[in-house]
Amino acid sequence: MDILYLLIPLSVALVFFILAGLWWAIHRGQFEDIEAEGERILRND
Amino acid sequence: MPNASALGWTGPAQDADPLNLLDEPEEWAAFSMREKDAPGCWRSSVVFEGMHCAACAITLEDALRSVPGVSSVQISGASHRGQIVWSPEQTRPSQWMRSVERHGYKALPANDAHAHQRRRDEARRMVWRLSVAAMCMMQVMMYATPAYLSGPGDISAEAMHLLRWASWVLSLPVMFFSCTPFLGNAWRDLRERQISMDLPVALGMVVTFVVSTLGTFEPEGPFGAEVYFDSLTMFVFFLLTGRWLELRLRDRTAGALEAVLNRLPDSVRKRQPDGSWERLSIRRLAVGDVIEVLPGEAFAGDGTIVSGQTQVDEALLTGESLPLKRQVGDRVIAGSHNLSGTLQVRIEQVGAATRYAQIVALMESASLSKPAMALLVDRWAKPFLMAVLLASLASAIYWWPTDPAHAVMVAVAVLIVTCPCALSLATPAAMLATAGALARSGVLVRRLSALQNLASIDMVIFDKTGTLTRDALDVVRIHTRQGLDPEQALAWASALARHSLHPVSRALWSEARRRAERSSSLPELERLTAGEISEQAGQGVLGRLEVTGSTGLNLRLGSARFCDAPGFSGHHLQVSLADDAGWLATFELAEDVRPEAARVVARLKALGLTLKMLSGDGPHAVAQVARQVGIDDAQGACSPQDKLKKLQAWQALGHKVAMVGDGLNDGPVLAGADVSFALGQSVPLAQSKADFVLMAGHLDALVSTVLRSRQTLRIVKQNLVWAAVYNAACVPLALMGYLPAWAAGLGMALSSLLVVLNALRLASPLPTPDHDLQPGHPA
Repeated sequence: MDILYLLIPLSVALVFFILAGLWWAIHRGQFEDIEAEGERILRND
Repeated sequence: MPNASALGWTGPAQDADPLNLLDEPEEWAAFSMREKDAPGCWRSSVVFEGMHCAACAITLEDALRSVPGVSSVQISGASHRGQIVWSPEQTRPSQWMRSVERHGYKALPANDAHAHQRRRDEARRMVWRLSVAAMCMMQVMMYATPAYLSGPGDISAEAMHLLRWASWVLSLPVMFFSCTPFLGNAWRDLRERQISMDLPVALGMVVTFVVSTLGTFEPEGPFGAEVYFDSLTMFVFFLLTGRWLELRLRDRTAGALEAVLNRLPDSVRKRQPDGSWERLSIRRLAVGDVIEVLPGEAFAGDGTIVSGQTQVDEALLTGESLPLKRQVGDRVIAGSHNLSGTLQVRIEQVGAATRYAQIVALMESASLSKPAMALLVDRWAKPFLMAVLLASLASAIYWWPTDPAHAVMVAVAVLIVTCPCALSLATPAAMLATAGALARSGVLVRRLSALQNLASIDMVIFDKTGTLTRDALDVVRIHTRQGLDPEQALAWASALARHSLHPVSRALWSEARRRAERSSSLPELERLTAGEISEQAGQGVLGRLEVTGSTGLNLRLGSARFCDAPGFSGHHLQVSLADDAGWLATFELAEDVRPEAARVVARLKALGLTLKMLSGDGPHAVAQVARQVGIDDAQGACSPQDKLKKLQAWQALGHKVAMVGDGLNDGPVLAGADVSFALGQSVPLAQSKADFVLMAGHLDALVSTVLRSRQTLRIVKQNLVWAAVYNAACVPLALMGYLPAWAAGLGMALSSLLVVLNALRLASPLPTPDHDLQPGHPA
C-alpha cells in the first residue's frame, strides 16, 4: 500500500487544481446569469 | 455589457481617495437630500457592506452617532441600507464614512453607480468561498471515511497520520479563507466589546480547528488523537450555504424594492449640438437634453418622445401591468422601461424632480422603518447570545472531567446550533417580502408597521370624490325634443364640447366618443367640427356647426336658462343644448362611480369589515353613490373636522379604522386613522401622508393588500414560533451532548433558511384585478 503515500498528497494537489479552475469560472462570471444563456436563443437580435 | 469607464464615465476619478470626492456638494447631493426638519442638515442614503444581522446595524448606528455633526442615523439590518442626517458645518460624508470603515464595514452612496459592481463582487466572493468550502469538505470526508469504517489495526499508524495530515492541509483554506467573514466579524466584536451572532460560531470554528490540529500533530496531548476536520469543514459548508442562499433569497425578497431603487441606467446617450451622440453619466443629464433610448433600456428622466414609437412597461411605477403604447408627443416616466422601439426623448425632469425619485425616497424610508415586533426581537438578541456563551462554557466545564475532547465538542455544538438570526430575520424578512410584492402591484408602503396594523382593522371608511368615484362625470340620461335622436343630439353637443376643458364638456365628448366607437361611426363624429366657438363665462358655449347638405346650425350648450330648456326634475347635474329654433336636448350627468367599487365593497364586506362613507358632498349625491356601491352607512356634508371627529368616536368604541381617501383634501383624517390609503395617481407622493399609496389609481389593490397583510402577520408569527421552538429543542440536545457539531451547523443553516423561505411565500405577486372592467386600457 505504499502507493498511498503518493496518491494522498496527489489527491490534495488535485483539489487545489480543481479549485483553480473554479476560481477562473467564478471570476469570469460564468455563474452570474444562468438563465440568460438559455433564453438567448429565443431572442431576435 | 461594456464597462462604464470605456463609455466616458465621468464619475469620481480612481486615483485620489474616492471618499474625499464625495465631499464636493454636487457629489453628495447625488445621494442626499436637504433635511426638512433640521435646516442646514442633509439626509444621505447609503448602502452598507459587511452587515450580517441586527446586531451589526446597532454597532453601525452607535459608530455613526459618535461622529460629531451626525444628528440621526437609521439603519435597516434586513436591506443593508441606511439614512444619515448630518450637518455640513461640522462634518463631511468622508468623515462619517471613514468611521464606518474603522468599524470594519463599508458605506457606499446609495445612488452610486459603483454599488452594483461592488454587489456583484460581493456575490462572487461569496460563491467562491462556498466553492472552496465545498471542494475541501468533500475531500476531507474521503480522508475521514477510512477512520469510520476500519476496525482497530486495519490501517497502519503511518497511513492514518498521512490521512490526518492531508485533512489538515485541506482544512487550512476552509479555516483561513472560507471562514474569514465569521472570524473577521467575531474579531471586530471582541475589539468593540460587542456581541453578534458570528461570535459563537467563530468561537466554535476556532476551537474545533485547534483541537483537531493538536490531535494531528500532538496525539499524546490532552485532547487525544481524535480529529474533527470533517465536522469543521461540514458545518462551515452548511453555514456558508445558508448564508449564500439567504443572500440570494433576500435579494429576491427585497427584489422589487431593489428593482425600483436601482432602476435608472448609469449612463445615457445624449445628442450633441452637431447631431452626434455622446455617452455621459446620468448625473450630468439636464432638462432639455435629447437622449436616445434603446429597446430594453430604462428611461433616465421624465420626458416627451420626439421621435420613434414603442411600448413601455410602467408596472413598477403605476401598477399598470400591461405594456402601454407611446408615440411622438407622449410622455414617458423615469424608471419605466422601453420595450420595443428605439426612441429619442427630450428630458423634462431629472433627478429628485421625477416621480420615480419620489417613489424611491418613499420606499427607502419604508424599508428602514423597523416594525414594532422586530424592535422587540432585536432587544432580546444580545442577552440571548450572552446566555448561549455562558451555557456552552458551563457544558464544557461539566463534561471536562469525563472526556476533555468530548467536552470541547459539546461546547462547540452549543455555540453553533443557536440561531438568533432566525429570530431577528423573522419579522423584517416577511414584511419586506410583502412590501416588495405590493410595490410590484403598484401599492407603496410607507411604514412597515402599517402592515401589522392593517391586519387587525375591522372598519374601512371611504371618502367619496376621487375614491369611490372618479373625478370625471358620466352621462346618465338624455332628454330630447320630439323627433330628435339622442345620439344625434349628443354628437352635436360633443362637437361644441370638444373645445372646452370644463368637466361637463369632457364628459359629453368622451361619452359621444364611446358611443361612436360602439357603432363604429367614430370618423363621422371626428368630422363634425364646430367653428366660431365662443365661451360665455358661467353660461355655456356658442358655436356654429357645419352640417353637410344644409346651411349649418348655430348651437348653444350650457345651463337650462342659456338654452331655454324646460325644467327636468332630478338631482343630477344638467346641461342643455339649443339651436336658433330653441331647446334641443338636456343631458343628465352623474358622478362616475369606479367600475370596481361595488365589487371591492362586496369583497371587503366578505372579509368581515364594517364599511362606512364620509363625504363633504351633499347628502343626496352621497346617498346615491352609497346605494350604487353597496355601503349602508354613508354621511354627507362632513367637513374634514367632522370626519376626524366621527373617526375618533369610532376608535373610542374600540374599532381599528382604515381610511381610504384621495390623499389631497383629507390629510388630517388620513393621519388620524390606524391605517390610511391614498389613491395616488394625482397625488404628489412626497405630500401624501398615507401609509399605503395605491398608485394604479383603482381600488382592487385594496382588497389584496388587506389579505396580504393578514397573511404577513400569520407568517411572522409562524417564523417567531419556529425560531423559538428550534432553539428550545436544539440547545438542550446540544448541552446533553447528543448533537454533533456538523448536525448543529446543518440545523442552524436550515433554521435561518426556513424563516427566509417562509417569508418568501409573501413575495408572490398579488392576484391581478379583472382588467376587462377597466376602461381606458390599450387593446
